Amino acid sequence: MEQGAARRPDHLSAVPAPPADAGDLLRGVARGDEAAFGRLYDLIAPRVYGLIRRVLRDPAQAEEVAQEVLVEIWRTAARFDASRGSATAWMFTIAHRRAVDRVRAEQASAERTMKVGAASVDTPYDEVADEVSGRLERQQVRRCMDDLTELQRQAVTLAYYQGHSYREVAELLGAPLPTVKTRMRDGLIRLRDCLGVEVTS
Amino acid sequence: MSSSDVHALVGAYALDALDDLERAAFERHVADCAACRAELDELRETAARLADSTWSVPPPRLRTEVMAAVGRTRQSAPSDQGVPGVAAGSSRGRRYAVAVAAAVVLAAGTGATVYAIQDQRVRDQSAIASAAQLREVRTQAILSASDLVVRSAPMTGGGRVTVASSREQAASVVSVRADRAPAADRAFQLWTIRGTGAPASVGLLGAGEQSAIELVGGVPGNDVFAVSLEPAAGAVSPSRIVAQVPLT
Repeated sequence: MEQGAARRPDHLSAVPAPPADAGDLLRGVARGDEAAFGRLYDLIAPRVYGLIRRVLRDPAQAEEVAQEVLVEIWRTAARFDASRGSATAWMFTIAHRRAVDRVRAEQASAERTMKVGAASVDTPYDEVADEVSGRLERQQVRRCMDDLTELQRQAVTLAYYQGHSYREVAELLGAPLPTVKTRMRDGLIRLRDCLGVEVTS
Repeated sequence: MSSSDVHALVGAYALDALDDLERAAFERHVADCAACRAELDELRETAARLADSTWSVPPPRLRTEVMAAVGRTRQSAPSDQGVPGVAAGSSRGRRYAVAVAAAVVLAAGTGATVYAIQDQRVRDQSAIASAAQLREVRTQAILSASDLVVRSAPMTGGGRVTVASSREQAASVVSVRADRAPAADRAFQLWTIRGTGAPASVGLLGAGEQSAIELVGGVPGNDVFAVSLEPAAGAVSPSRIVAQVPLT
């Protein structure tokens, strides 16, 4: 079982197949099982694509990066180490890093901020998102985000959803660098405790 | 940079809010520290939960394209590197290979004249171990300088050059990451340019080398840092400049 699955059951199967566990599927993928990869795709592609699109804002670029990421998951599945965290976190870590990489290579920091300016930092969830399951989980994250201080929340959000480096975040928020570093860390620690995230190795 | 300074980057690292050079420094740090790794794992797991709210249904052709690509893509063997981060390999992933490889080299306390390791190759490890240690100290001093300025520019043909400079330290840490390796008999050469003067050569990568992290003295005070593509032995003056990073 994927770690945390008991506490946080997978509910994202918008597919007819029985509810699948991302960890089990990923282990199948690591053995070269293409059918398992197909099921894994159905389970995670909307979140992988959604995350990348949220960071990149551009649907065409997001599609391109999502394809690279999903193929990379196939290619490197054997490197997933369950003692270091859940399968979903491993996959989203890859997706996030690729998205951030692309956004930094192609869009200047100011441009990103301007694009987001209109939509505000708290971009509403995709309409689709509210219709599919997973609502509870999202509400939990949102509620926990509300527990953060303003600066913690901004620092975490600007970095994660817009791909800003902490230097850029410091500039955007007019806060000193060490403060921003600290807020990113203690903000995540508070979120961790609120969400009850554990990694037991 | 003291280890507590580096460790303070754990949140920014988990959010992918570091530049490549800091990322490498941080990865080196956690490779040596089990407690830090545990904190990192939990914060990374937490950061990934932020993706819970990002559902968006991809176009159906994405599935078709991904499944087709999977059918023709060979899988990699498990990696035994005890370094965090994502796996390296694709052209875009290659840049991480440098960071990860640099971290491995630094963690081992040995190194090569450049931190660049293409295909995980470490050159002349033991012979220049002390030089590498010196470089590590210098690199960390530059990256932790209070007057650090980070600038970067794209490379012609894909890729990026990043120059992290400190006037106090009178030196820069330079990261060159091309999307494609030069031909086997060609190499990237590094230059500084001041005013309208002739470019001065400040370094030469190995033949065919695609990515490198280099320590370069005397960069601050110049106007432009440039990278050119040259014959493997290098050139007296740049023939084809592929990237220019303005420093002022």
